[in-house]
Amino acid sequence: MLVTSQLRVGSIFKVGKDVLVVQRMLGQKGGRNGMVTKMRVKNLLTGGTSDLGLDSGEKFDEVDLDLHNMKLSYIDGDTYVFLDQTSFEQYELAKDDLGDNAQYLTPEDDFDVEITFYEGKPVGVVLPIAIDRTITYCEPGIKGDTSGKSTKPATLDSGYVVQVPLFCDIGTKIKLDTRDGSFIERVK
Amino acid sequence: MTIDLLCKVVDNFGDIGVAYRLARALSELDDPPTLRIIVDNLEAFNALCPEVDPRQNVQLVRGWTVLSWHADALMSYRSCYERDPARVVLEAFACGRPEWLETMLFDPADLATKTIINIEYLTAEPYADEFHLMPSLTRSPLVRKYMFMPGFTANTGGLILDGHFLDSIGHGIDSRGRQAMRVELARRLGIAAELASEQHTWIVVFGYERDYSRIVADIAEFGRQRPVVVFAANGKSQPCLEAAWQNAGRPFALERLPFLEQLVWDALLVATDFSIVRGEDSLSRAALSGRPFLWHAYPQDDAYQLVKVRALLERMAPYFAPDLFAPLRETFIAFNDRTTDGPHVIGTESILPVLQAASSLQTGFAGWSAVLASNGNMAAHLMTCIHKIV
Repeated sequence: MLVTSQLRVGSIFKVGKDVLVVQRMLGQKGGRNGMVTKMRVKNLLTGGTSDLGLDSGEKFDEVDLDLHNMKLSYIDGDTYVFLDQTSFEQYELAKDDLGDNAQYLTPEDDFDVEITFYEGKPVGVVLPIAIDRTITYCEPGIKGDTSGKSTKPATLDSGYVVQVPLFCDIGTKIKLDTRDGSFIERVK
Repeated sequence: MTIDLLCKVVDNFGDIGVAYRLARALSELDDPPTLRIIVDNLEAFNALCPEVDPRQNVQLVRGWTVLSWHADALMSYRSCYERDPARVVLEAFACGRPEWLETMLFDPADLATKTIINIEYLTAEPYADEFHLMPSLTRSPLVRKYMFMPGFTANTGGLILDGHFLDSIGHGIDSRGRQAMRVELARRLGIAAELASEQHTWIVVFGYERDYSRIVADIAEFGRQRPVVVFAANGKSQPCLEAAWQNAGRPFALERLPFLEQLVWDALLVATDFSIVRGEDSLSRAALSGRPFLWHAYPQDDAYQLVKVRALLERMAPYFAPDLFAPLRETFIAFNDRTTDGPHVIGTESILPVLQAASSLQTGFAGWSAVLASNGNMAAHLMTCIHKIV
C-alpha cells in the first residue's frame, strides 16, 4: 500500500479499477495530523485530469509497473525522447505526462531516470530524489550569508526557477530535492 | 440521515472539544442527523461531557450513540450498524478510521456509495479557502472523500455556532446580563462574590508553558488602575503563571481553576474582559465572544506558527483602527515569536498596551465577531455540503 505521504510526482496508484499518476504537486500545508496536499492526477485509463486535496492518512493500492532505466536523449517541442540503456530503444513521453518532473530534465543530463510502463506503454518518469543542476541566472550572490534562511529566485539550466540561498551565484552548481524543488546544498 | 463522527484525542482536549461542540450544533439543527460518535479516549470526552461513561463501549448520551474506537467492535457494534450501516463519516482532523469501521466501509460485498468528509483544523491561512470542499480520494470509488475547512471567511466552512455558546454571548451582551453570568460563575467556581463585581477586570490565561513573569508584571501594573482577577486555567500554563505570580509577590488576585466542562468554560470566556487562549476551539470561542484576546499558537518547526498568527491578524485587521491595531499586532507577534515552549522561555511581549486599550479595542473585536457569526454555522454548512454530495 502507498500512503499519501509517499506520493510524489510520477507516483502511480489505484482507486478501484482506475490507475492514477501524480502529475503535479500544487501545494502542501500543515494540517492537524500531518500535511494536506493538493495535487493534480491523471487517470491513465480515461486520460482525464483532476485536482485533489489529500490528507496524510489515506492508503492506496500500488500498481504493478515495469520500470526501465533510461536517459533523456532529446526534447522535440513538447515531446521528451528517452533512450533505454539496455535495449537502446527510444520511447516518447509528452511533457504533460512528465508533469512537474519535466522541469528538472535537460538532454545534457548524465543521470538515469526510471520510466514507468503500464500495460506496455510508458506513462511517467521517476527521478532520483536528489539531482545536481547549474544556476544560469540569479541576482549576484552575497558572500558570508551562509544561513540559507533568506532566499532568492534562481533560473536553472533546465529553465526551472527555484528558491536558493543568497550566497548562490550564476554558475553555482546546486543539489535539489526533486520532491519539492527545495535547495539541498551547494555542490563543491 | 445517520452520521458517524470520528475523533481521536491527540493531546489535551482540543480535538474532542471540537467534536463535542460539533455534535451539539448538528443536533440543534432543524433537521438534525442521527449521530454515532466514535472516540478513542472516552475519559477525555467524559471530562468535557460528564454524562459520558468512560467504561461503556456503547452508550446513549443526549440522543447520540457514543462508541469506543477500541472495542473489538464488529461483533459488539453489530446491532448499531446492521440496520443502519455507515454511509456518511466525518473524520475530525484527518483522524483516520478504526479498523472495524474500515472493514465495513470497504467491504467489497457492500456496493452502496459512502462519503467521508475530513474536517481539517482551523486556520486563518488563505489555503483554507482554496481547500474547502475540495474532492479527495480513498482507495475505492465507492468511498468518496472531501475536504472541509473551518475558517474565518465566507468561503470556508465557518465556525461552529452552537446554541449554548450563542446563548452565552446573548446573555453577556449587556452589562446586566454579564454581571449575572459573573455571579453565577463565581458561585460555581467557589470564588468570593465581591470578585464578580463589574469593577474587577477579569483576565483568563490558558496558554502553553513559558515564563509568565512579563505577563504578570504587566497585569500588576495594569492592576494599579483597577482591581484585577486572573483565572489560571487548568493546563500547561497554570503552574508557570502561578510561579511567576508567587515570585512577583502575588500582586493581584489569582484564581486557580479546576478543569471546567465545556459549557462553563464557554461562559467564562464570554464573561471575561481579556483572555489569553490556546488551541483551535478556544481560539474560535474567543474570536466569537467579541472580547479582546491574545492567541498563544502552538510552536512549530522554524516558528511556522508565526505564519498562522500573521494570517489571523490579517483577518482581524479590517475591524480595527490602524493606530489601535498596531500595538495589538505587535503583542500577538512578540508573544508567539519562539521556537519552543518551556517554563524558562520568555518572550519580548508587553501586554500592558493591549490591556490599557482593551475597552477601545472592544469595538473591533465585537465587529469582527459579528462578521464571523454572519458567515454562518459550520454545522449547517456541513449538512448542506453532505446533502449536496449524498
